[in-house]
Amino acid sequence: MSSTDNDGHYAALWPRSPRQTRLNKLAARLATLEGKTVAQLWDYLFRGDEVFALLEEGLKAKYPGIRFVSWRDIGNTHGSDERAVLAALPKKLKELGVDAAISGMGC
Amino acid sequence: MLRASAVCEKAGVPTTSLVCEGFIGQAAATSIGLGMPTMPVAFVPGHTGAQSKDELRRNILGVTVDRVIDNLTAAPATARETSEPGARDIVFSGGFDAVNRYFYEHEFSDGLPVVPPTREKVAEFLRHTDRDADEVLGVILPDSRAATIWSIAVNGVMAGCRPEYMPILVALVEAMLDPAYGVEHSGNTPGGETLIILNGPIIKELGFNYTQGVLRDGFLPNTSVGRFWRLYIRNVAGFLPHKNDKATFGNTWRVVLAENEDVLNKIGWEPNSVEMGFKNGDNTVTIARYTGGNLVSSVSGSTPEEMMPYLTDAVVKQTSWQIMFTVGMGMGTLRPLILLSPILAETLAKAGWSKHKVKQYFFDHARMTAFHFERQLRDWTLKPIWNLAEEVRAGRIPKIFHESNDPDRMVPIVWKPEDFMIAVSGDPLRTNAYVFAHNGVLAYTVGRRIKLPKDWQPTLGK
Repeated sequence: MSSTDNDGHYAALWPRSPRQTRLNKLAARLATLEGKTVAQLWDYLFRGDEVFALLEEGLKAKYPGIRFVSWRDIGNTHGSDERAVLAALPKKLKELGVDAAISGMGC
Repeated sequence: MLRASAVCEKAGVPTTSLVCEGFIGQAAATSIGLGMPTMPVAFVPGHTGAQSKDELRRNILGVTVDRVIDNLTAAPATARETSEPGARDIVFSGGFDAVNRYFYEHEFSDGLPVVPPTREKVAEFLRHTDRDADEVLGVILPDSRAATIWSIAVNGVMAGCRPEYMPILVALVEAMLDPAYGVEHSGNTPGGETLIILNGPIIKELGFNYTQGVLRDGFLPNTSVGRFWRLYIRNVAGFLPHKNDKATFGNTWRVVLAENEDVLNKIGWEPNSVEMGFKNGDNTVTIARYTGGNLVSSVSGSTPEEMMPYLTDAVVKQTSWQIMFTVGMGMGTLRPLILLSPILAETLAKAGWSKHKVKQYFFDHARMTAFHFERQLRDWTLKPIWNLAEEVRAGRIPKIFHESNDPDRMVPIVWKPEDFMIAVSGDPLRTNAYVFAHNGVLAYTVGRRIKLPKDWQPTLGK
């Protein structure tokens, strides 16, 4: 096509750039949520406070021994405080004895 | 939200991320960039913002709870590495139309024809920087790709830039990488678009339009550099519509706003570059994303007292949900931009008003009632926890936001006068202004000095 319609010929380079992340392993899952401590991570958006209250209700109905660390004790995971809150998160989760986390709201 | 989940997973804590129905695709795309493509998400039907309490209850208890349990107790699928081309690979060879078809089909272009990025073209761009082509300026989310000098040149070629623009393009990517800017938020649903403000002698050296029609396409440097920004956000940051870019509506890219420094110097007002901490005469770029704005037409008056009430009214009218960046998500990060035509700035300056005095006036008068302020945060934008009195008591916001319990008291829309930004450009002799609505912490205002290579000799117009 190019040689006959004055369309030129171009060897075009890839406009993206190599990814710098390797695959990271996910954490091992839990055998059960009974007796476990679950942290609520919230970006303070989209009715997460109501959603977390409902999740607590639903999960406690199935696992009476489950415990929760409220989003109030974690801080906003989005916005101005995001970098500081996320940087402090691993230590905080350890101190609070957290076994699993629920993060919202992606809406 | 997924970034928080990734931090937990790396720390050995299993997670589930709550994702509304319309955002499942974005979650999948973002997870790849985080290096955790199978990070589990818990489906939330519909959108929580449009559901009654009963509907929300039914959806969370009936659907989401079980997904949460599965995600935290069942092993997720095994992720596999995917292969991609190398940084300098040629991905397609052919004629102009065929290259453009390939680039469009592979989501490399914005829908308009691009200049095919060949080695020869890229080499021309690299001659206008002292930086090594392989230098990595940083890693850009959400795709976590390397921001290299090479990739800047490639996308600059595609955008139709001239090689001489390369120092500006590098400065732009440096600014994009500033953590304060928050490039990772560029796919948020308000779908704002970045405005680039250019300052310094480079405006004239490279032939940028800084007068009438300054925000109109049709001027090669203003237009192509603006297009470069959007292409780089697409190709290297990785914001693709229907994937990581969740703009509800979106905008096309904005052309570069070059300030009229002739007028600024004449009236004794510092250019935007000085406001951003640089020296007068430095070549600089300033970036921030704006979700909208509006023209303020026919500002009448020969004195500031006659002009400022109208401009102030326009500033308040362009500030609605954005106050979540003043109190709430952003906490003092709202920076409205007021663009004045030269004749307006000259009239204000003639009366002895400095830029600072104009900003102080906006701070003192661009206000809304506390009731309206709180209603927007609490009732209208679904953040039931916000309360000005509580935020002041906790020391999180300035006291001026709660000097009494009167709901009709007037409160400012920013934390301090300097949060207002003022730029001067456009038709020198027309009495119009423009107010830009800022995206706050999700695209905070940052600036960078443009570093010119040794032996900088722009050849444009010669």
